[in-house]
Amino acid sequence: MNEQPDRVAEFTAEIESMKLKAGGASSEKYLLISGVVAVLVGVVLAVVGAVQVVNAETPMDQQAFLATGAFLGIALVIAGAALFVRYSLARYLRFWMVRLVFESRANADRIVEAIDRASAPR
Amino acid sequence: MTPAQPVTADRQPLLALQGIRAAYGNIDVLHGVDLDVPRGAVVALLGPNGAGKSTTLKVACGLMAPKAGKVLVAGRDVTGARAEDLARRGLVTIPEGKGVFPNLTVRENLVVATYGGQKLAAIEAVAYERFPRLKERRNQLAGTMSGGEQQMLAMARGLASNPAILLLDELSMGLAPLVVEELYEIVAQIARSGVSILVIEQFARTVLGVADVAVIMLNGRVRSIGTPQEIEAELSSAYLGG
Repeated sequence: MNEQPDRVAEFTAEIESMKLKAGGASSEKYLLISGVVAVLVGVVLAVVGAVQVVNAETPMDQQAFLATGAFLGIALVIAGAALFVRYSLARYLRFWMVRLVFESRANADRIVEAIDRASAPR
Repeated sequence: MTPAQPVTADRQPLLALQGIRAAYGNIDVLHGVDLDVPRGAVVALLGPNGAGKSTTLKVACGLMAPKAGKVLVAGRDVTGARAEDLARRGLVTIPEGKGVFPNLTVRENLVVATYGGQKLAAIEAVAYERFPRLKERRNQLAGTMSGGEQQMLAMARGLASNPAILLLDELSMGLAPLVVEELYEIVAQIARSGVSILVIEQFARTVLGVADVAVIMLNGRVRSIGTPQEIEAELSSAYLGG
């Protein structure tokens, strides 16, 4: 084994000075789940808001319930749905790509095999 | 030989993977990989197709985030760091399949390597000193060179950023045995200059000649770690599923 102490020391210092985001492993799953949760919370808020708007006695109350129920609830549904589509689609497309790669490899193997068979002396 | 003994290094390894689990979507590929690259050592990572070698390398260089586990570089947890940040600091990957731009000349390919901030003259000096053949072909389109020369160009570009750790993926892929031997002689020279190297190979004989430590991977797990001599004896059974 060999060493170049200067380069290793320099490298260690540079790695030490790197700015890293907290947490390492993929956050995709958690974003997907938070998307679903946001949609559910949004739907609940919208339904509760709608019921309260109907039962409100004054226009002021109606406006307040509209703000939480309709606006906040619907905004949560839209944002949550966007998160869900974004991250479930990413997972689906990655799976699809792995499948494509796998099939193209299998295909290449079949072609090589066929060429070998065809070029083998009879 | 007993399976998966940890590498005993006197000091902290320059690159270490601890309990790495990784997946492509729902397909789990690595099931808890532990791997150390000691300072100044050449580690050969061997295994049949689909063993998870290239995925291990992708995790090590930051191209792929693991589902669980840690990547330690020079003792620091860099899990989730971006590959380009690690590369700029000296963790350099040379991917499989000759990572060169075929429609650019040799010199233009080296110009691309100045992206990291180095001067072209310095990159050319290192490249042509290590690979004199590239100097002769500096105005030739990379895609028209032989496979071995293209691999040399890929290595020259990797060396441009003065790596502290070099990750080599399937250097021998599609090349004639003599060319492979020549390339591994260069790998041995690079190792002698003090760079720590992790080499991934499917076909092992040549790489075992330059390695200090060899590791066999099977089905997403490290099956055994040992000296090249110990591992050579075990290779056939690993590849043939014994």
